[in-house]
Amino acid sequence: MISFIVRRLIVTVFLLLLVSLMTFAIFFLIPRLAGQTSYELAQQYVGRNPTPAAVHAIERKLGFDQPLPVQYGRFVKGIVMGAHYDAGPDKSYCPPPCLGYSFRNQQPVWPMLISNVPVTASLAIGAAVLWLVAGIAIGVISALKRGTAFDRTAMGLALAGVSLPIFFTGLIALQLFSYKWPVFPNPQYVPLTENPLAWARNLVLPWTTLAFLYAALYARLTRAGMLETMGEDYIRTARAKGLPERTVIVTHGLRATLTPIVTIFGMDLGLLLGGAVLTEFTFSLHGLGLFTVLAIQNNDLPEILGVVMLTAFFVVIANLIVDILYAVVDPRVRY
Amino acid sequence: MNRRKKFTVAAIGAAAAVELSACGGTPAATPSPQSTAQYNAAISAVVSPSSNEGGTIHFDNSSVPDSTDPGNTYYAFMWNTVRLYGRALITYRSVPGSGGNQIVPDLATSLGQVSDNGLTWTYHLKPDIKFEDGSTVTSQDVKYAIERTYAKDVLPNGPSYFKLLLKDPNYPGPYKDKTPDKMGLTSVDTPNSTTIVFHLQKPFADFDYVVAIPQTVPVPPAKDTGANYQLHPVSTGPYKFQSYQLDKQFTLVRNPHWSAATDPNRKQLASKFVFNLNVNADTIDNNLIHDFAELDMAGTGVQAAARAQILTSPSLRNNADNALSGFLWFTYINTKVKPLDNVHCRRAVQYAADKVAYQTAYGGPVAGGDIASTVMPPSVIGYQKFDLYQATTMPHGNVTKAKEELRACGEPNGFSTGFAFRTDRPKEKAMATAEQQALSRAGIKVTLQGYPSGKYFTNFAGVPNYVHQHDLGLAAGGWAPDWPDGYGFLYYLTAGPAISSAGNTNIEEQNDPAVNNLFTKAVATADPAARNQIWSQIDRLTMQNAVILPGVYAKSLLYRNPDLTNVYVSRYYAMYDYASIGLK
Repeated sequence: MISFIVRRLIVTVFLLLLVSLMTFAIFFLIPRLAGQTSYELAQQYVGRNPTPAAVHAIERKLGFDQPLPVQYGRFVKGIVMGAHYDAGPDKSYCPPPCLGYSFRNQQPVWPMLISNVPVTASLAIGAAVLWLVAGIAIGVISALKRGTAFDRTAMGLALAGVSLPIFFTGLIALQLFSYKWPVFPNPQYVPLTENPLAWARNLVLPWTTLAFLYAALYARLTRAGMLETMGEDYIRTARAKGLPERTVIVTHGLRATLTPIVTIFGMDLGLLLGGAVLTEFTFSLHGLGLFTVLAIQNNDLPEILGVVMLTAFFVVIANLIVDILYAVVDPRVRY
Repeated sequence: MNRRKKFTVAAIGAAAAVELSACGGTPAATPSPQSTAQYNAAISAVVSPSSNEGGTIHFDNSSVPDSTDPGNTYYAFMWNTVRLYGRALITYRSVPGSGGNQIVPDLATSLGQVSDNGLTWTYHLKPDIKFEDGSTVTSQDVKYAIERTYAKDVLPNGPSYFKLLLKDPNYPGPYKDKTPDKMGLTSVDTPNSTTIVFHLQKPFADFDYVVAIPQTVPVPPAKDTGANYQLHPVSTGPYKFQSYQLDKQFTLVRNPHWSAATDPNRKQLASKFVFNLNVNADTIDNNLIHDFAELDMAGTGVQAAARAQILTSPSLRNNADNALSGFLWFTYINTKVKPLDNVHCRRAVQYAADKVAYQTAYGGPVAGGDIASTVMPPSVIGYQKFDLYQATTMPHGNVTKAKEELRACGEPNGFSTGFAFRTDRPKEKAMATAEQQALSRAGIKVTLQGYPSGKYFTNFAGVPNYVHQHDLGLAAGGWAPDWPDGYGFLYYLTAGPAISSAGNTNIEEQNDPAVNNLFTKAVATADPAARNQIWSQIDRLTMQNAVILPGVYAKSLLYRNPDLTNVYVSRYYAMYDYASIGLK
């Protein structure tokens, strides 16, 4: 088991390096291939009507005048060993994993990035709990009560949940529950450590909005899985043995259905930890999603690169955990 | 030009232009007009005047500052906000109406004293002005702040006027300054701790406006942290930084070392200011209307949904102001692209254009603005109204006159040309499409060419070679000045020396010796009244050359929360004056 985990960790490191190389190439190499000079790139980060000397100064400061392999080498070196940046009177040190220096803010990317993680994690994990509980429960009940009014209503709602974009449901939720009936007025993120009650109160609307989309997906998946499983021979056998219906459903039916759902859940949660872009944007939550939007709007390549790397890290780690869980459940996977 | 919209300071003020700029430095002692809350009341009067103290004022902003460092910002809303925590040598008078365009001493005891040859400007600092730590502000602190503007590698955002105007343009900035006290900029002298002297390369009569930019807000050298100074600029104003989470929120609290006795332009009423950044734009409007926030920091007006809501509700409408934003939205007509190198072809475009369609594309009279007939908007000092091409009398265009001009141009059947616009700006695209139709009435066939706004000036419309090669006779644009007179508005748009090979803002490539000579004459003219006459002459010449098709004098619908006191629109900042407001 340990050697399996070690093997997977080594692969993970290579995977992250590959992601960094590809992202670097997309954001730094392609503009060069499209004919953009480093001078033109630097011009975007100087104020209006800059003098050529000012543009050259920025070009040097941001390292655009260096060959691309050197720029990439510095980026990777920063991740491993940290980096020093010229902040004016002093050099400021960016400890590892230093993901570069923001062109726009003149600040190291890593501290800014990491300061957004609690918001996104609060949002993603809270919503995940909601959608797992609601989605699976609705899916199971729908499957067991197939064709009933409950099933039809639940699946109709699920269809709505999947179809309606978050910026629509989110704005409706805000309009109704923040402005018209101020049950959750003016939601703003409050750290969990500062005031747990305010943290939860302010996140109810974003949680519900995000969970509405995912619960709908999971309800449909669970329902389909349950319908298939409950038709299997071993379920009939279990019932024939006289097992209580509850045990048949939970221990035999649901357990088999959950296996693919766990896989998808790992992927979904990993991606969401990299930023729930629409939900954060709609509710003005300063998480990684909003950070990404701002980075793209400002064409701040190191910020974009940083957020891609962090998202890739979360996805890879989530998958690693899922794989390890699989290996625990099914020893054949280890070989 | 949204980025530019944020980057530039909108300037306003017209009717009283001459009397204002003729001021000798002492603000007139007339009390500000007062008014109760009603539609447009805050444009010309103070709404809810009060000396009530206390409370927290919440600002929401859908974006973020380029920097909160007074020496490193070019955003209009930041130049307004900086006044809460920074005092420059000169500032703008804190009054509603046209008086808001008037410059008055701030740190300085008077406006600049200029030498006979126009090359030396001297300012004396008021005594006993303190930083937030209680130490006294000296002229060396102001000089150091100016030195920082040369360090573009560390502080890239602000304007470069000092480098352009002062002697010693090759000064490397204080971070590479080898002199022991980092005071190596030889073009600025500090003969004593309250006197600062500027040495210019050539006369520049508008220099007082340059030192009114927040780059002269003093910075104590020992407290300068370069790129990190934005996290806590040392205050000289009524408020100081309490906290700053970059891109999220910053808060200001009262500065006990600020003295109202030395500062007639600011108040210290609220206990605290909270600035929430990166808030969804529609959420901001809802927050304002539902009392969760008091002001929109960006000051560019409400979104379409809230606009409809506000204009149809009498009670909400009473809290709104439809103010000039200081911007002109217009179309460059290139003087090098054939056949537009002939003035008659350019005039044909002026006559054929549909100005109502232009206005509609930008949002109509309330959200878009008034139909324009000049390059300078009415808010700029030196503006004089004229209408050479019937923009206001025949706003749908005069096709007959356009065809006459086409015959004079030698193109009786019309001609074809390209029209550059920014694809990520829906209003600009709508305008270009509407004008494509309007111009076709006279036989002018326009091919629309969309470009991303981030590279519009650096790679496409702002690169003359590209413009010539791709036959871009027309290009959409927008402009607001750094200071509210003709030089601030016109120079980079219309002066020949402003043409550059990339990042060009004189996209029409007007290089008219008559215009250029007028600029040279104006900057050497000390008398403001005479100078203001010249700005209008340049405007008229530019319109006679037909190189700019004015679209609209932009306006925006601002909303003021009824809980606020001392609210009025600053003519210069073209948004509510943040230095005066308080809470009921």
